[in-house]
Amino acid sequence: MKFRVYVSFKEGVLDPEAEAIKKTLDTCGFTEIRKLSRGKFFDIDIKDKCKNKEDIVKKISDEVLSNPIIENFKIEKL
Amino acid sequence: MAKKPLISIIIFPGSNCDRDLIVAIKKTLNVETNIIWHNEKIIPKSDIIFIPGGFSYGDYLRAGILATKSPAIKEVIRWSKKGVRVIGICNGFQILTECKLLPGTLTKNINPSFLCKDIYLKLNKNNKLIKNISKEKLKLPIAHSQGCFYCEEEQLKLLQDNNQIAFQYCDVNGNINKDNNPNGSLLNIAGVTNLKQNILGMMPHPERAIDLQGLSDGKFFFEVLKQL
Repeated sequence: MKFRVYVSFKEGVLDPEAEAIKKTLDTCGFTEIRKLSRGKFFDIDIKDKCKNKEDIVKKISDEVLSNPIIENFKIEKL
Repeated sequence: MAKKPLISIIIFPGSNCDRDLIVAIKKTLNVETNIIWHNEKIIPKSDIIFIPGGFSYGDYLRAGILATKSPAIKEVIRWSKKGVRVIGICNGFQILTECKLLPGTLTKNINPSFLCKDIYLKLNKNNKLIKNISKEKLKLPIAHSQGCFYCEEEQLKLLQDNNQIAFQYCDVNGNINKDNNPNGSLLNIAGVTNLKQNILGMMPHPERAIDLQGLSDGKFFFEVLKQL
Protein backbone atom coordinates (compact mmCIF):
# COMPACT_ATOMS: atom_id res chain seq x y z
CA MET A 1 0.00 0.00 0.00
CA LYS A 2 1.26 3.46 -0.93
CA PHE A 3 1.17 6.56 1.22
CA ARG A 4 2.19 10.15 0.59
CA VAL A 5 3.54 12.11 3.55
CA TYR A 6 3.46 15.90 3.29
CA VAL A 7 5.83 17.82 5.59
CA SER A 8 5.49 21.58 5.99
CA PHE A 9 6.48 24.31 8.43
CA LYS A 10 4.21 25.09 11.35
CA GLU A 11 2.34 28.38 11.28
CA GLY A 12 4.58 31.17 12.52
CA VAL A 13 7.92 29.47 11.78
CA LEU A 14 9.96 31.66 9.48
CA ASP A 15 10.86 30.04 6.17
CA PRO A 16 13.41 32.28 4.41
CA GLU A 17 13.33 30.12 1.27
CA ALA A 18 9.59 30.63 0.86
CA GLU A 19 10.09 34.36 1.47
CA ALA A 20 12.77 34.46 -1.22
CA ILE A 21 10.50 32.62 -3.70
CA LYS A 22 7.63 35.03 -2.98
CA LYS A 23 9.88 38.06 -3.43
CA THR A 24 11.12 36.69 -6.77
CA LEU A 25 7.55 36.07 -7.94
CA ASP A 26 6.70 39.65 -6.92
CA THR A 27 9.62 40.80 -9.06
CA CYS A 28 8.28 38.74 -11.97
CA GLY A 29 5.02 40.61 -11.75
CA PHE A 30 2.99 38.06 -9.78
CA THR A 31 1.96 40.65 -7.23
CA GLU A 32 -1.33 38.88 -6.49
CA ILE A 33 0.29 36.55 -3.93
CA ARG A 34 -0.62 37.25 -0.31
CA LYS A 35 1.40 34.43 1.19
CA LEU A 36 3.50 31.54 -0.07
CA SER A 37 4.62 28.51 1.90
CA ARG A 38 6.46 25.43 0.81
CA GLY A 39 6.99 21.86 1.95
CA LYS A 40 8.07 18.46 0.75
CA PHE A 41 6.47 15.10 0.25
CA PHE A 42 7.57 11.48 0.48
CA ASP A 43 5.93 8.51 -1.24
CA ILE A 44 6.22 5.37 0.83
CA ASP A 45 5.20 1.91 -0.35
CA ILE A 46 4.69 -0.46 2.59
CA LYS A 47 5.01 -4.20 2.03
CA ASP A 48 1.63 -5.96 1.70
CA LYS A 49 2.36 -8.46 4.47
CA CYS A 50 2.56 -5.71 7.12
CA LYS A 51 -0.49 -5.42 9.34
CA ASN A 52 -0.20 -1.95 10.85
CA LYS A 53 0.79 -0.02 7.75
CA GLU A 54 -0.64 3.34 8.79
CA ASP A 55 0.99 3.17 12.23
CA ILE A 56 4.35 2.48 10.60
CA VAL A 57 4.01 5.48 8.28
CA LYS A 58 2.92 7.67 11.20
CA LYS A 59 5.94 6.59 13.25
CA ILE A 60 8.31 7.22 10.33
CA SER A 61 6.78 10.65 9.76
CA ASP A 62 6.96 11.62 13.40
CA GLU A 63 10.42 10.29 14.21
CA VAL A 64 12.36 10.85 11.00
CA LEU A 65 10.63 12.72 8.19
CA SER A 66 9.52 15.74 10.23
CA ASN A 67 11.02 17.81 13.00
CA PRO A 68 8.14 18.29 15.46
CA ILE A 69 9.59 21.56 16.78
CA ILE A 70 9.07 23.35 13.49
CA GLU A 71 7.16 21.03 11.13
CA ASN A 72 3.76 19.38 10.72
CA PHE A 73 3.03 16.32 8.65
CA LYS A 74 -0.03 14.97 6.91
CA ILE A 75 -0.46 11.42 5.60
CA GLU A 76 -2.51 10.58 2.51
CA LYS A 77 -3.30 7.13 1.15
CA LEU A 78 -2.50 6.87 -2.55
CA MET B 1 46.01 19.08 34.05
CA ALA B 2 46.31 16.07 36.33
CA LYS B 3 45.97 13.53 33.54
CA LYS B 4 45.47 13.71 29.82
CA PRO B 5 41.79 13.48 28.88
CA LEU B 6 40.52 10.59 26.77
CA ILE B 7 38.97 12.19 23.72
CA SER B 8 36.90 10.49 21.03
CA ILE B 9 35.80 12.02 17.73
CA ILE B 10 32.92 10.53 15.73
CA ILE B 11 33.25 10.64 11.96
CA PHE B 12 30.31 10.30 9.55
CA PRO B 13 30.30 10.13 5.77
CA GLY B 14 30.41 13.83 4.93
CA SER B 15 32.14 15.05 8.10
CA ASN B 16 34.85 17.50 7.06
CA CYS B 17 36.11 19.18 10.22
CA ASP B 18 37.37 16.02 11.92
CA ARG B 19 40.98 16.48 10.91
CA ASP B 20 40.97 20.14 11.95
CA LEU B 21 39.67 19.04 15.33
CA ILE B 22 42.32 16.34 15.74
CA VAL B 23 45.07 18.82 14.89
CA ALA B 24 43.59 21.56 17.10
CA ILE B 25 43.42 19.27 20.13
CA LYS B 26 46.93 17.97 19.51
CA LYS B 27 48.31 21.49 19.07
CA THR B 28 46.58 23.09 22.03
CA LEU B 29 46.76 20.28 24.58
CA ASN B 30 49.19 17.74 23.14
CA VAL B 31 46.53 15.06 23.41
CA GLU B 32 45.92 12.27 20.88
CA THR B 33 42.31 11.54 19.93
CA ASN B 34 40.45 8.31 19.40
CA ILE B 35 38.70 8.19 16.01
CA ILE B 36 35.30 6.47 15.87
CA TRP B 37 33.69 5.60 12.53
CA HIS B 38 29.91 6.16 12.55
CA ASN B 39 28.96 2.50 12.33
CA GLU B 40 31.08 1.38 15.24
CA LYS B 41 28.88 -0.05 17.95
CA ILE B 42 31.18 0.69 20.87
CA ILE B 43 32.82 3.93 21.90
CA PRO B 44 35.56 3.20 24.45
CA LYS B 45 35.51 5.03 27.75
CA SER B 46 36.08 8.71 27.04
CA ASP B 47 36.15 11.90 29.08
CA ILE B 48 34.82 13.85 26.16
CA ILE B 49 33.22 12.97 22.82
CA PHE B 50 33.31 15.40 19.89
CA ILE B 51 30.93 15.41 16.94
CA PRO B 52 32.66 17.47 14.24
CA GLY B 53 31.27 19.79 11.61
CA GLY B 54 30.62 18.99 7.99
CA PHE B 55 27.70 17.66 5.99
CA SER B 56 26.92 14.24 7.44
CA TYR B 57 25.04 12.18 4.85
CA GLY B 58 25.09 15.23 2.58
CA ASP B 59 22.57 17.04 4.82
CA TYR B 60 19.91 14.89 3.12
CA LEU B 61 16.36 15.22 4.51
CA ARG B 62 17.41 17.69 7.26
CA ALA B 63 20.89 18.56 8.43
CA GLY B 64 21.91 16.01 11.05
CA ILE B 65 18.84 13.75 11.07
CA LEU B 66 20.28 10.74 9.23
CA ALA B 67 23.38 10.69 11.43
CA THR B 68 21.19 10.33 14.53
CA LYS B 69 20.30 6.79 13.47
CA SER B 70 23.89 5.52 13.41
CA PRO B 71 25.23 3.02 15.98
CA ALA B 72 27.88 5.48 17.18
CA ILE B 73 25.22 8.02 18.15
CA LYS B 74 23.44 5.40 20.26
CA GLU B 75 26.71 5.11 22.14
CA VAL B 76 27.01 8.90 22.43
CA ILE B 77 23.54 8.96 24.01
CA ARG B 78 24.49 6.15 26.40
CA TRP B 79 27.72 7.83 27.51
CA SER B 80 26.12 11.26 27.79
CA LYS B 81 23.57 9.88 30.23
CA LYS B 82 26.47 8.74 32.40
CA GLY B 83 27.72 12.33 32.49
CA VAL B 84 30.41 12.12 29.80
CA ARG B 85 30.89 15.48 28.10
CA VAL B 86 29.76 15.72 24.49
CA ILE B 87 30.54 18.66 22.22
CA GLY B 88 28.97 19.06 18.78
CA ILE B 89 30.33 21.72 16.48
CA CYS B 90 28.22 23.04 13.59
CA ASN B 91 26.84 19.88 11.96
CA GLY B 92 27.60 18.21 15.30
CA PHE B 93 25.25 20.73 16.95
CA GLN B 94 22.57 19.93 14.37
CA ILE B 95 22.99 16.21 15.09
CA LEU B 96 22.69 16.76 18.85
CA THR B 97 19.42 18.69 18.47
CA GLU B 98 18.04 16.12 16.03
CA CYS B 99 18.70 13.29 18.49
CA LYS B 100 17.16 15.45 21.22
CA LEU B 101 20.23 15.52 23.43
CA LEU B 102 19.97 19.29 23.11
CA PRO B 103 16.83 21.44 23.00
CA GLY B 104 15.69 23.45 19.98
CA THR B 105 16.62 23.09 16.36
CA LEU B 106 18.76 24.78 13.70
CA THR B 107 16.88 26.11 10.67
CA LYS B 108 17.88 27.97 7.52
CA ASN B 109 19.68 31.26 8.09
CA ILE B 110 17.30 34.22 7.99
CA ASN B 111 19.12 35.36 4.86
CA PRO B 112 19.06 32.03 3.02
CA SER B 113 22.68 31.91 1.95
CA PHE B 114 25.75 30.08 3.18
CA LEU B 115 27.51 32.25 5.77
CA CYS B 116 31.27 32.12 6.05
CA LYS B 117 32.71 34.87 8.23
CA ASP B 118 34.34 35.68 11.55
CA ILE B 119 32.07 36.60 14.46
CA TYR B 120 32.39 37.47 18.14
CA LEU B 121 30.90 35.30 20.83
CA LYS B 122 29.96 36.30 24.34
CA LEU B 123 30.48 33.56 26.92
CA ASN B 124 28.06 32.78 29.72
CA LYS B 125 30.38 32.22 32.67
CA ASN B 126 27.50 30.78 34.69
CA ASN B 127 27.41 27.80 32.37
CA LYS B 128 29.25 24.90 34.00
CA LEU B 129 30.74 23.47 30.83
CA ILE B 130 32.42 26.63 29.55
CA LYS B 131 33.04 28.58 32.76
CA ASN B 132 36.75 27.76 32.81
CA ILE B 133 37.47 29.38 29.46
CA SER B 134 39.71 32.27 30.45
CA LYS B 135 38.21 34.83 28.02
CA GLU B 136 34.97 36.80 28.21
CA LYS B 137 34.48 36.69 24.46
CA LEU B 138 35.97 34.78 21.53
CA LYS B 139 36.48 35.62 17.88
CA LEU B 140 35.72 32.52 15.83
CA PRO B 141 34.63 31.67 12.28
CA ILE B 142 31.18 30.44 11.30
CA ALA B 143 30.39 28.51 8.13
CA HIS B 144 26.81 27.31 7.75
CA SER B 145 23.49 27.71 5.97
CA GLN B 146 21.33 26.14 8.69
CA GLY B 147 22.44 27.85 11.87
CA CYS B 148 19.39 29.80 12.94
CA PHE B 149 18.60 28.56 16.43
CA TYR B 150 14.88 28.18 17.09
CA CYS B 151 12.80 26.76 19.91
CA GLU B 152 9.41 27.39 21.44
CA GLU B 153 8.97 30.30 23.85
CA GLU B 154 8.63 28.16 26.98
CA GLN B 155 11.80 26.28 26.09
CA LEU B 156 13.64 29.54 25.47
CA LYS B 157 12.74 30.76 28.94
CA LEU B 158 14.03 27.50 30.43
CA LEU B 159 17.31 27.93 28.56
CA GLN B 160 17.69 31.40 30.05
CA ASP B 161 16.60 30.46 33.56
CA ASN B 162 18.93 27.47 33.70
CA ASN B 163 22.01 29.13 32.19
CA GLN B 164 21.95 26.76 29.24
CA ILE B 165 22.76 29.48 26.72
CA ALA B 166 26.54 29.10 26.51
CA PHE B 167 27.39 31.41 23.60
CA GLN B 168 25.67 34.42 22.01
CA TYR B 169 26.76 36.35 18.94
CA CYS B 170 27.94 39.83 19.95
CA ASP B 171 29.96 42.78 18.67
CA VAL B 172 33.64 43.46 19.35
CA ASN B 173 32.73 45.05 22.70
CA GLY B 174 30.51 42.17 23.81
CA ASN B 175 27.18 43.88 23.10
CA ILE B 176 24.43 41.50 22.03
CA ASN B 177 22.01 43.02 19.54
CA LYS B 178 20.25 42.38 16.24
CA ASP B 179 23.04 43.98 14.21
CA ASN B 180 25.41 41.25 15.40
CA ASN B 181 23.06 38.36 14.75
CA PRO B 182 24.41 36.70 11.60
CA ASN B 183 21.70 34.11 11.03
CA GLY B 184 18.49 35.13 12.81
CA SER B 185 18.97 32.90 15.87
CA LEU B 186 16.66 33.60 18.81
CA LEU B 187 18.48 35.80 21.36
CA ASN B 188 21.60 35.63 19.16
CA ILE B 189 22.14 32.07 20.40
CA ALA B 190 25.28 30.44 18.99
CA GLY B 191 25.60 27.57 21.47
CA VAL B 192 23.53 25.82 24.13
CA THR B 193 24.00 23.03 26.65
CA ASN B 194 21.57 20.51 28.05
CA LEU B 195 20.09 20.99 31.52
CA LYS B 196 22.86 18.96 33.19
CA GLN B 197 25.41 21.04 31.26
CA ASN B 198 27.52 18.12 30.10
CA ILE B 199 26.47 18.38 26.43
CA LEU B 200 27.29 21.43 24.31
CA GLY B 201 26.31 22.33 20.77
CA MET B 202 27.76 25.36 19.00
CA MET B 203 27.72 26.70 15.45
CA PRO B 204 31.13 28.49 15.43
CA HIS B 205 34.31 26.55 14.65
CA PRO B 206 37.00 26.83 17.35
CA GLU B 207 39.02 24.12 15.59
CA ARG B 208 39.48 26.46 12.61
CA ALA B 209 40.90 29.25 14.77
CA ILE B 210 44.09 27.84 16.18
CA ASP B 211 46.76 29.74 14.37
CA LEU B 212 45.69 30.47 10.84
CA GLN B 213 44.77 33.81 9.28
CA GLY B 214 45.29 35.67 12.51
CA LEU B 215 42.52 33.82 14.33
CA SER B 216 43.73 32.09 17.45
CA ASP B 217 40.87 32.31 19.97
CA GLY B 218 40.05 28.68 19.28
CA LYS B 219 42.84 27.64 21.61
CA PHE B 220 41.01 29.29 24.51
CA PHE B 221 37.93 27.24 23.70
CA PHE B 222 39.87 24.01 24.14
CA GLU B 223 40.50 25.03 27.75
CA VAL B 224 37.15 23.31 28.39
CA LEU B 225 39.09 20.07 28.12
CA LYS B 226 41.32 21.00 31.04
CA GLN B 227 38.56 20.96 33.62
CA LEU B 228 37.97 17.22 33.55
